[in-house]
Amino acid sequence: MNVLSLLGRNLTQGPYTEPFPFGPAPTAKRFRGRVTFDAATCEGCKICERVCPAGAIRFSKAKDGLAFAVWHNSCVFCGNCEFHCPTGSVHQTTDWHLAHEQARKYAMVEFGLIPNQTCSECGATALATAPSLRGIAPPLSAEEAVTLKSLCPKCRARFLKARRAKP
Amino acid sequence: MSRIPDDIETRLREAAPRGVDYASSTDPHGVTVAWAGLADREELLSVAQLLHGLGARLSMISASQPPAPEDEEEDDDGEAEEGAEAAAEEAPAPVSFGGTPLDGTSYELAYHFDLGGDTLTVVAYLPAGGSVASLTPLFRTADWNERELMECYAVTVRNHPDPRRLFLDASIDPAVLERLIPFSTLVNAASTKGLWEKIMTGHAGAA
Amino acid sequence: MSTVPETYTIPVGPLHVALEEPMYFRIDVHGETVTHVDINAGHVHRGIEYLTTKRTMLQNVVLTERICSLCSNSHPETFAMAAEQIAGIAIPERAAMLRVVAAEVKRIASNLFNVALLAHLVGYETLFMHVMQVREIAQDIKETVFGNRMDLGAICIGGVRYDLDEETTGFLVAALDRLVPEIEAIVATYRTNGSILGRTRDVGVLTREQGLACGVVGPVARASGIAYDVRAVAPYAAYDRLPLEVHVLTDGDVWSRAMIRLAEALTAIDLIRACLRDLPDGPTRLAETPDIPPGRAIAKSEAPRGELIYYLKTNDNPQPERVKWRVPTFMNWDALRFMLADAKIADIAIIVNSIDPCVSCTER
Repeated sequence: MNVLSLLGRNLTQGPYTEPFPFGPAPTAKRFRGRVTFDAATCEGCKICERVCPAGAIRFSKAKDGLAFAVWHNSCVFCGNCEFHCPTGSVHQTTDWHLAHEQARKYAMVEFGLIPNQTCSECGATALATAPSLRGIAPPLSAEEAVTLKSLCPKCRARFLKARRAKP
Repeated sequence: MSRIPDDIETRLREAAPRGVDYASSTDPHGVTVAWAGLADREELLSVAQLLHGLGARLSMISASQPPAPEDEEEDDDGEAEEGAEAAAEEAPAPVSFGGTPLDGTSYELAYHFDLGGDTLTVVAYLPAGGSVASLTPLFRTADWNERELMECYAVTVRNHPDPRRLFLDASIDPAVLERLIPFSTLVNAASTKGLWEKIMTGHAGAA
Repeated sequence: MSTVPETYTIPVGPLHVALEEPMYFRIDVHGETVTHVDINAGHVHRGIEYLTTKRTMLQNVVLTERICSLCSNSHPETFAMAAEQIAGIAIPERAAMLRVVAAEVKRIASNLFNVALLAHLVGYETLFMHVMQVREIAQDIKETVFGNRMDLGAICIGGVRYDLDEETTGFLVAALDRLVPEIEAIVATYRTNGSILGRTRDVGVLTREQGLACGVVGPVARASGIAYDVRAVAPYAAYDRLPLEVHVLTDGDVWSRAMIRLAEALTAIDLIRACLRDLPDGPTRLAETPDIPPGRAIAKSEAPRGELIYYLKTNDNPQPERVKWRVPTFMNWDALRFMLADAKIADIAIIVNSIDPCVSCTER
């Protein structure tokens, strides 16, 4: 290859670079970008908080439940949270548009709330976490899953025990 | 198909007559990892001479300051031995192989030698304030390793030809790895309480 | 009657336009010829070794990946190998193959990057940009298959974090098919181009004896006739079942080191293709994240720049008691004293680049 052949190639093929920002920049499907959180499927196991190497994830008690927060300015986008999450509640999207003004830095948070609920059985106040369904045999029906989720931890244990006892 | 000679244990014992704590294992790929603890750190040089003669390459030196073993309060119940408590009270302070006290102030220097792909690690134990002979005259590759461990720990390497600081500036206090550096200082306050208060306030303000 | 002294001391670095990373050489020159080299290190010392003892094993898989960007996959891989050795774990066969794929993709990109910089330092900017553009194919593989251009996130203790499906395999195969003719053309250029040959042949020579004394590793060793490749002499992952060719040259000059890197980029493609051909079905990791019991281990791997060695000591805590690693540059840096001896000032940057120095790795 010599300079002339490279020049010829560049003339016929045009620039290699993407036209961004005037055109779209293609993004790979597996790209690890902004973190999202789905409170409805979260079991509240907090493994994401423990495995996050940057300390970017924090669970905290709120008035109305358990709050999840990930601060994107500490996040190193390693995907450890998504990898260890048993339910896929934490997910990295392909969104890489994270540039922001300095004044907005503390707003770069993905926030989620696992609300409190009143147990449909005993009336106690407890977190409406998704119940852990792994290892339950036979698998729960849709109605059973809804019922189980509406219970407090004690009533959930009682519900599953009673179900196991059934012939 | 180990590249470590079959009679290495005998040869090590000849080079270090005060005692060698030898162990080795070979993985399914046929790669052997062997360990030789020395009862007497002063025999390190003669062991190094032996390995130099075998064509070994000094690959790395790892220094560490093993923490004192935690007091195990629970005497595993079940077999309630008579006088177990009395024995525990008299139990001698823990020591590493060769009798160096294991109280959190002693050092462990691991010299990793490569023999054609296999690794033989020679371990020397040093009490606080201890010193060890430099291997740099034998192995050029020991030079930077020894300079680094001297700036990380209060360990003296005798006869080092160039005992200057390696990575740390001369103005920095010595033995950096022996000091408690608060985690928040180390990571620049990321993930501390104060920071999270700002983040949560920022979120509340945005909402 | 000249009053100008014959010997000067000139600083090269710590920030220098031709050096990738901060390092500082105090160089004594006589006329245009180097007479003495003093190396001053520590400009990017970050205390990561201390930090690893404050993080859990699972966090450290990510932390070690961020020690260095170009060998980012080798660090967590070797760290995980050490942890697996302590726990007595064998990773699934599919995981072993996928580890090879990740490591070799990184090798292609890393080696092309260094060879591109050589063209830049020679002053052949068109070639520099062309090789960087070819490297971009490898970058696209990383982004598409792994989700990031540098930190793949491919490794976990007990296996790998990623898997290949039909779509990513297809992309990978097509990208490799595009890479081969491009790299072959680059090899031909570096073999024949007068500008390249004139600046790299018989420049920065390291003899075999000097190399052995310095304990050099990787392409630097193999360009000086030392046939040491961890993948061959201490196999790990699936390397003992793959057609690995160890390239050795004997001249020990800058050109030989570049040619070794290019040849190894092509061999890396052969290895990935062999993995894709033989890739068995099955799990990509252990079903449960393993607990690592107290113990000690030594693990080695062949990073793009050479032998990477990890020492891991664990106790009953979730954090390791001690993690120590030594990167290829730690060894190869010392050899610069021999390579730079009697070199011309104009060749200093080319010679330094030829060991592919990774300072952030070395100083941690």
